Amino acid sequence: MLEFIAVSKQFPDGQVALDDINLKIEGSDFVFITGPSGAGKSTLLKLITKELVPTSGQVMFNEDDIAKIPANKLHILRRRVGTVFQDFKLLLNRTVFENVALSLEVLKRSDSEIEKEVSEALEKVGILEKADYFPAQLSGGEVQRTAIARAIVSNPEVLLADEPTGDLDTKTAEQVVELLEKINKEGTTVLMATHNSTIVNKFKKRVVHLKKGKIEKDQKEGKYEPD
Amino acid sequence: MNQIKKTVKLLRRSPYQALAAALAMSLTFFVSSIFIILIIGGQIVLNYIEQRPEVIVFFADEANQTEIDDLTSKVRSTGLTKEIKFVSKEEALAIYRERNKDDPLLLESVTADFLPRSIDISVNRASDIKQITELAQGSEHVDKVITPENLVEQLVKWTKTIRLGGLVFVSTLLSISFLIIIMVIGMRIAIRREEVSIMSLVGATKWYIARPFFIEGSLYGILGASVSVLLIYVLLLFYSPQIQNFLGDIRVFPINPLFFLYLWAAEALTAALIGIIGAAIALYRYLKIK
Repeated sequence: MLEFIAVSKQFPDGQVALDDINLKIEGSDFVFITGPSGAGKSTLLKLITKELVPTSGQVMFNEDDIAKIPANKLHILRRRVGTVFQDFKLLLNRTVFENVALSLEVLKRSDSEIEKEVSEALEKVGILEKADYFPAQLSGGEVQRTAIARAIVSNPEVLLADEPTGDLDTKTAEQVVELLEKINKEGTTVLMATHNSTIVNKFKKRVVHLKKGKIEKDQKEGKYEPD
Repeated sequence: MNQIKKTVKLLRRSPYQALAAALAMSLTFFVSSIFIILIIGGQIVLNYIEQRPEVIVFFADEANQTEIDDLTSKVRSTGLTKEIKFVSKEEALAIYRERNKDDPLLLESVTADFLPRSIDISVNRASDIKQITELAQGSEHVDKVITPENLVEQLVKWTKTIRLGGLVFVSTLLSISFLIIIMVIGMRIAIRREEVSIMSLVGATKWYIARPFFIEGSLYGILGASVSVLLIYVLLLFYSPQIQNFLGDIRVFPINPLFFLYLWAAEALTAALIGIIGAAIALYRYLKIK
């Protein structure tokens, strides 16, 4: 489904974020992308949504080279890839419902479809009763669940989660990953960037460990031991 | 319709910018409307005067009918006239009596012999008056030539000045409105930068993201044009007796309501276009979608 072929990314300031990455991810995989800060985890995810383009190499999504997708077709890719951002990217002046509905509004769904599908997504992530709350009124875990609901409400083929447990306590972090696991079991490929070793070691999923932009290890039921 | 509702909701969240843009548009199109009405009004007055006998040639008492007919033929042969009407002493007296019917003292003392014979010459174009006047004044049988040439010249000059002044003034106001639209939409984009970025990341097309800004720009225009035409309509309605009094015989009221509809349609279309182009420039300049 996703394939990185000799992918390197160097920023204009000369910093090398990724260096010769070769990686294949099959449909319905659950992959932890681990590594310390600055290892290239976020960069790797951003190449999948074409927020960034590789300096060299190819990132393939099914048969398409993502870098070659023209600007006027980019929305098609992004509708197939849901993203949970490190900084949540929730709109503070919109309610939980409105934030999640945004993903469907851009697909021009009708009001009744939006009502139904958003409610289902909020129920799935367990915050249906908070639908009318604003992000500022939510706990850290609830904010994260809102972000997940927005990412999955349009049923994407791939879900990217960039440090979704970053600011959460262990229990809430585990609940969030359990939720991602549930979504993965329903057929969505999940890539989760994290440096939370407790979580990675508990869930026993495929681990791709990055260090200084290179893949240091790629294990099927891997573990993560921070340096 | 849904999009318009959403745009209105966004406008209400920062009403002062919206008010500034709408007021600038209203002012621009209000001033434009005034100039349009002045130009049309000036043209109506000019047409009225041009359709009237422009030159009246009074003959000396000793001129005989053959000499009068000769001059009439000469004037007609220039090809510049629309109509030439001979007014005999008796007809002149009848006109005099009609004009002074409320003043018996004036009527008593005047007989047909006191009044000169004349020809009323209606010319095709106001600019031809001069040539006809010179021709008449060249005849020894002519006593006096009365011409509204100066009035027409003045009117033509005023109309030209109004047109030029209007063009300069309205262009300046249009430019200001245009810049205000770009500025306001630019600020909107800046305020909604995060939302725009999120929409793009969840799969919105560029058009989906840009559309509310285009709607907003055109709404400012349509609102401004509507306010301006409404204001003009009310003012004309209110001051119509005074204006009609000033214009005398030149009938301009009641103004056909279709005129206001056309004025509104033309201004709303122009204003909407300005709003859309302003929004397009603001989007091109400020909306950077990754």
